[in-house]
Amino acid sequence: MEKNMQLHPRHFGPHLRDKLVAKLMKDVEGTCSGRHGFVVAITGVDDIGKGLIREGTGFVTFPVRYQCVVFRPFKGEILEAVVTMVNKMGFFAEAGPVQIFVSNHLIPDDMEFQSGDVPNYTTSDRSVRIQKDSEVRLKIIGTRVDATEIFCIGTIKDDFLGVINDPGAAA
Amino acid sequence: MRVSSSSTLWAEMQRMMTWRCFGWRWAVIEGIIGLGGQNPKPSSVPTQSGACDRRRCLAAPCLTAAASPRSHNLASLSVPLCCCLFNQGSIQLDVDSSNSSPSDAETNVDEENDFQGERIKRRKVEVSETLEVIHGSKTVDANKEEIGLSLESTKPNLCPPHPGFFKGLCMRCGQLEEDDGSGVALGYIHKDLKLLTHEMNRLRGADLKKLLRDKKLILILDLDHTLLNSTRLADVTVDEEYLLKQVDFLQDDPDRSLFKLDKMHMLTKLRPFVRTFLEEANHMFEMYVYTMAERSYALEMARLLDPSNTYFNSKVISQADCTQRHQKGLDVVLGAESVVVILDDTELVWQKHKDNLIVMERYHYFASSCHQFGFNLKSLSQSKKDESDTDGALANILNVLKRVHQMFFDTVLGTDLSSRDVRQMLKTVRQDVLQGCKIAFSRVFPSTARAADQHIWRMAEQLGAICTTDLDSSVTHVVSTDTGTAKARWAVQNEKFLVNPRWLEATNYFWCRQKEDDFGISNLKKTE
Repeated sequence: MEKNMQLHPRHFGPHLRDKLVAKLMKDVEGTCSGRHGFVVAITGVDDIGKGLIREGTGFVTFPVRYQCVVFRPFKGEILEAVVTMVNKMGFFAEAGPVQIFVSNHLIPDDMEFQSGDVPNYTTSDRSVRIQKDSEVRLKIIGTRVDATEIFCIGTIKDDFLGVINDPGAAA
Repeated sequence: MRVSSSSTLWAEMQRMMTWRCFGWRWAVIEGIIGLGGQNPKPSSVPTQSGACDRRRCLAAPCLTAAASPRSHNLASLSVPLCCCLFNQGSIQLDVDSSNSSPSDAETNVDEENDFQGERIKRRKVEVSETLEVIHGSKTVDANKEEIGLSLESTKPNLCPPHPGFFKGLCMRCGQLEEDDGSGVALGYIHKDLKLLTHEMNRLRGADLKKLLRDKKLILILDLDHTLLNSTRLADVTVDEEYLLKQVDFLQDDPDRSLFKLDKMHMLTKLRPFVRTFLEEANHMFEMYVYTMAERSYALEMARLLDPSNTYFNSKVISQADCTQRHQKGLDVVLGAESVVVILDDTELVWQKHKDNLIVMERYHYFASSCHQFGFNLKSLSQSKKDESDTDGALANILNVLKRVHQMFFDTVLGTDLSSRDVRQMLKTVRQDVLQGCKIAFSRVFPSTARAADQHIWRMAEQLGAICTTDLDSSVTHVVSTDTGTAKARWAVQNEKFLVNPRWLEATNYFWCRQKEDDFGISNLKKTE
């Protein structure tokens, strides 16, 4: 990906390139765009172009080309996520920087909400339980990308979806 | 991630094989083996098609075509196969090169489409059956990028009445909808959650069934002056400074009721008996906190009252969640109105739900709180006293709540619990308090005013007493502010109870008939 980075003249010197890369990392890692999704980490810098001095200020603009790992959830994608909050409307799960909400419409009908100390969704024979910190496999059915966050709606009503690992259950 | 995607894939393939034992099973295996050996070339796999075009890949011609020329560029020929089975996995793989050559992929698939079109139609019957079994999804993918035939959902998608939105995305179908302000924002559950009325009603109904099954009702608690009393550190008077020393001393005591919140610059005192109250009420009620304070304060208080987060998990409603200014409403509560009991010290904010309300006596611990309400008496902290633990307001109200709960779930009256209304129960219990009393008022309100409109008249009537303006032999109490009035003298002569209005107020707060001797008029004169 490419980005134009502005650098203050105080950074000019023998370590210009390093400073530029550090600034790039600070600015770009953790941000998110609609097209690419989340930038998780920068893996390498390909090329730093010639710097152009801006009129009026002393800043210099460098076009930087870099490689990075991005993460973007797609509709129809199947992800593993960790449950963060469970309530009667459904549960919230997180898969890295992405927040996913699974509403009770999209939870299989045999799972019922149990309130209490540890709110959870559980089947009638108590064989499967979804509570905070459970890992679930879910399918994304809708996404929305914001300036800094990505929100998704997920479902576990299909086959092969649901709890992978239950922290509360005995082995 | 690679590993998991292929394991899903294998599982799916196995399922397909067990369901349909046609000759093309072998083609399927061969196709998969071929694909497994070679990484799908990112550029030609259509990464953008969201839904799986399984029909095309399950159609035999496609598979045999894929199976035989294994040396061919598998990606292009078996695009239908891999687009469905690999899409789930490959999207993660191709995330970096997401838009590398979308046009390429699309033209590829388009060609396949036209070619396969008629054959697919022939096999639609068998194929759709398999699809229903395997895919089993009921969501309609309104994905514009979907190429070719769109999947029919197995159940009709009920989504045009969207149930609710999470940050603009419908909770059931995942579509992005513009915010038209019709939903109720449930900010206390999650800041981006909105529900529409029909969905809330559905949830309320489901919740009601569950509550009745668990033998629980709903209790909504106010914070300030009901369960606790707070003051700003700046408002602490000289007499109260001993409290500041005390709070440091009590740092580790688990039963402490005095807390200093440095970040909010506040000193908080929990009402006596509150922890026991919450514990016992938890057995009978599902509890909510509803306060007109800010959310940060409300959450902090909930944390003090409920350190293990069992009572009020996601149920702390604050001022920001109210739909009307200065009014609390049950529209943001996911519970049916017929089982809600409200405990609050102010009646003013619950205009629409007065029948569910139990008014509590205000808890004034700090001097600043007394001043706020215009009392010039010494506050509890200044007199180094506190409300009685076992005989205070909370203990009394707990008894009332127990009675109401018992009445509600009383099996003697029949088994249909859903038709019962807790408001009726409250009324009945209230009527019992002053049953048999007939009250006349003297110098309590002007005789020119309409008696029946007076607040104190109505309070007495709610408590089950009969109110009258004229004296006769059936009158049992005369409520007066002055011993010199005609009615007062008549009461003393005929040995009726002569009490000041505070007697009625106390009876109202404590839900039991107070001792008339404690509320004689001379007592009144003493305190004023």
